[in-house]
Amino acid sequence: MEKAIFFLAVVCLSVISCTKEKTDYEAEIATVVTEHYEFKEAAAISSEGYTISIEALNGTFYKGYNEIRLKITDTRTNENIHASSVIFLPVMSGADGSNTSCPHLYDLTYNADDKYFTGYAVFTSESNTNGSWELYTSVIINNKTYPAKQNITVQEQPNKNLNMTAFTGKDGEQYIIALVSPQKPKVAENELVAGIYKFNKPTTPPSGSFPDPSQFSYAEVNDYTLQLDPRMPEPSMGNHSSINNKDLTQQSDGLYYGIVNYTMTGNWTLNFIMLNQNGKILKGTEVPTDFTPGVEGVKSELYIDILF
Amino acid sequence: MKKLYIIFWTLFLGMNANAQNTQAQKDTAKVLEEVKVIAIAKKKIQTEMKMAVTVDEFLASSDNISFIKRGAYAWEPLLNNMSTERSTITIDGMHVFGACTDKMDPITSYVESNNLSAVDIKSGQEGSLHGATVAGSIDLKRKSTPFSSEKQYSGAYQTGFEFNNKQFFNLGNLSYSSDKFVADGSISFRKAGDYYDGNNNEVNHSQYNKFNTSVGLAYKTSPFSAVRVDAIFDKAKNVGFPALPMDLWLSRAIITSASYKQLFQHGLIRVWDTKVYYNAVEHYMDDTKRPENLVHMDMPGWSTTYGLVSRANLKRGDYSAEIQLNAYNNLSIAEMRMYPQDRSKRTMFAYSWPWVTTRFTSVAMNNSWDISENSRVNFGGSLGYNYNRSKYVEFNRIFHPGTAQEKSRILPGLHASYELQVKQFSFSAGTGYGHRAPSVSEGYGYYIYNSFDRYDYIGNPDLKNEISYEANASAGFKNERMGIEAKVNYFYIQNYIIGRILSLGSPMNYQSVGVKGYTSLDHARLFNMALNANYNILQHLHWKGTLTYARATDDKGGNLPFIRPLSYQTSLHFMYKSIGIQTSLNGDLTQINYSPEYGEDQTPAYMILNISANYSFNIKNCKTVLQVGAENLLNEYYSTYADWGNIPRMGRNIFTSLKFSF
Repeated sequence: MEKAIFFLAVVCLSVISCTKEKTDYEAEIATVVTEHYEFKEAAAISSEGYTISIEALNGTFYKGYNEIRLKITDTRTNENIHASSVIFLPVMSGADGSNTSCPHLYDLTYNADDKYFTGYAVFTSESNTNGSWELYTSVIINNKTYPAKQNITVQEQPNKNLNMTAFTGKDGEQYIIALVSPQKPKVAENELVAGIYKFNKPTTPPSGSFPDPSQFSYAEVNDYTLQLDPRMPEPSMGNHSSINNKDLTQQSDGLYYGIVNYTMTGNWTLNFIMLNQNGKILKGTEVPTDFTPGVEGVKSELYIDILF
Repeated sequence: MKKLYIIFWTLFLGMNANAQNTQAQKDTAKVLEEVKVIAIAKKKIQTEMKMAVTVDEFLASSDNISFIKRGAYAWEPLLNNMSTERSTITIDGMHVFGACTDKMDPITSYVESNNLSAVDIKSGQEGSLHGATVAGSIDLKRKSTPFSSEKQYSGAYQTGFEFNNKQFFNLGNLSYSSDKFVADGSISFRKAGDYYDGNNNEVNHSQYNKFNTSVGLAYKTSPFSAVRVDAIFDKAKNVGFPALPMDLWLSRAIITSASYKQLFQHGLIRVWDTKVYYNAVEHYMDDTKRPENLVHMDMPGWSTTYGLVSRANLKRGDYSAEIQLNAYNNLSIAEMRMYPQDRSKRTMFAYSWPWVTTRFTSVAMNNSWDISENSRVNFGGSLGYNYNRSKYVEFNRIFHPGTAQEKSRILPGLHASYELQVKQFSFSAGTGYGHRAPSVSEGYGYYIYNSFDRYDYIGNPDLKNEISYEANASAGFKNERMGIEAKVNYFYIQNYIIGRILSLGSPMNYQSVGVKGYTSLDHARLFNMALNANYNILQHLHWKGTLTYARATDDKGGNLPFIRPLSYQTSLHFMYKSIGIQTSLNGDLTQINYSPEYGEDQTPAYMILNISANYSFNIKNCKTVLQVGAENLLNEYYSTYADWGNIPRMGRNIFTSLKFSF
């Protein structure tokens, strides 16, 4: 009997070594997707004895949506200081002398539990020779205002699942749509989160000291709808799509939530049609739904490509 | 080990005490001369026409088996016109599951005729001994030489050539037996090129290469007990599937088991046989030889099963019974990776079987009670527990949001029959009831491309159990000169599982035209009929004929696919001294009840004539048989109702074979 068991064991072991390796599914998606969980310091500004630390995921500002956390400490004692308010404004200075901003939360909100201010910035371009980004902050501590500014570097977002697009709607307004989540999609039903922002065109010329926030104002648009039609653009996939997807609608945190189903890994195009609160199409076109093997999928005029 | 035995004993005794259900056992061995005790008359692995048959060809000679053919190799056996999901196919009671989502590797493709001794086919619930079933069971019995009082060697070597597809084969097996020890070994090679159809056109991608070897060792531990270990290794390489858009690059299977058998001279229990087994199957497809493919795709699959089968044969007076415990765990994995035309781009990946575990346990009993000299009652039943778990259930949730990761089912089965012998007439009538769980593909399959109807199939984890109600009857007459027997069976199957077009969703495989989801029809009905007759015209001239008919409809009265039209086979066998001549004629009539809804078109009638002759002689102590014959002698161009994509069958095939045995 022992011999038999030994014999079986040898045979089993020889078989466990398969000819082709099975795919490590968890690692499979990680090959093109880097997922970051940790907030690290991305920039630090000193202002009159206080240190303002701005944290972002992976300690890096990327093009697209960035959640930011801002902590203030006393430079000498290293103690956490409570500020009554923090304002935050990113500005890009172009090589041509222009100044522009990007969607951001101007008046940061305080997270009392974890003792930091929180907000976001949707950088619309990377830092390069054509332009550089500067963060303007203004912290009010004990009714005294401490303004500060810091040059930062915005890097290319390597994760296509956090892509963004900027466009002009049929109403003549400038819009930006940025993907917020999922960072790392799965072949599954995924909750798709995006921010939709509009540039508030200034009605008055700049005044006061630079920067005048009224010239750089962005807002989350309210009660819009983002209709979704995800498809695989690869010609061999023949305009493949998935089912049970849900259009994105706004939730209480201001972001837009919907459902996207990815049926396999690879390149996907999220085709959108953006409707305003009255149901009027501001951007986007219907895409063909036919199965057309060998033909690259037609995209909506409003789309974001992702890859996982 | 002893403790384990005690546990099993208790289990069996407990079962016996409240034995409600059970079946037929005609004899039980008293001394351990045979390693196997098989109640049912065995069929030898050779047909009358051809002595060197493949397992598929052999099964095809049974009247309740038909085949779905995707090429020249690895035919999918249909029992009672039902596909393999509805039957249990086992090797010596061991469950083995193919690793191909496209059913390119039925279990029958992992054995070879020279390591099998018999195939035990049971129709309907009578086959529930090996596990829950609807259609019945096919148990492939391996060769095992009995212990002998003197040391003996025996063996056979067979070689042959078939001209149509240039198939060259070599089959060898060798056995050694003594009082204490038995060893069996076999090895086989088959290599075939493309075959030619009846119009003498080459059917591309129909070649195959197969290597199979097996070994079995038995040791007598006491006059009434023995242990045995067995292993089969099978490797098929470069197998073409003309009806599919891809071929097989490599498939390998290793099938192993260790068993312990105890005989008892006295008491109710006569034989107790327990076996543990392990098998692993890997299957890799290859589409690189099909330039028409727009997209290159890797589709590897793996299936690993381990399990236990333990059975006891009981006998007391007019009563005999068989009890069997089955338990197995299977893990099925299948992947698809599509390569974009621009190979530098990211490949696309998904699981077609997202790591699906199936655990199954059943206790089954078959009882047989001889009421009188000429009548007998058989009754039995089984109770099974089936558990499924999908590791990456998110794949399944795309089409079935919120479906559970795990699913358990209870699968009961019951059957009873009555046999009556009145002089030369015999009659039987029986009935059965049983559940089956959806297969891995039906439950958890994900975009499995079916090249027959060109749809991608999606499994549904929440399918209900398929419930079968069956009735069967037979009547026969037999005397020295002739015999005739008619058999009918009827199945009413609730929640019949079949693919239905989903209006949602778009296909993933570029050849497909849409997406089908496995759904349950309210019910389906199947009717099978077979008529067999034989007549001894002269002392050396025998005639045999078979007529089969089947009809199957869904809940709306529409036809179900893959149902054999009226078919016939008639053969003459002449034997004189050492010469034998056989001729047979077989064919199907026009398929009237075909199913366009499930991708079928009408298949015309065909008729095939076969002929063969053999000559036996002795070279010293070596019995030698030489055979020459021709299949499809008239070179008819045809394809059958179950030929995937209407690929034509083989045209005229002249075969030769030479067999030495000692």
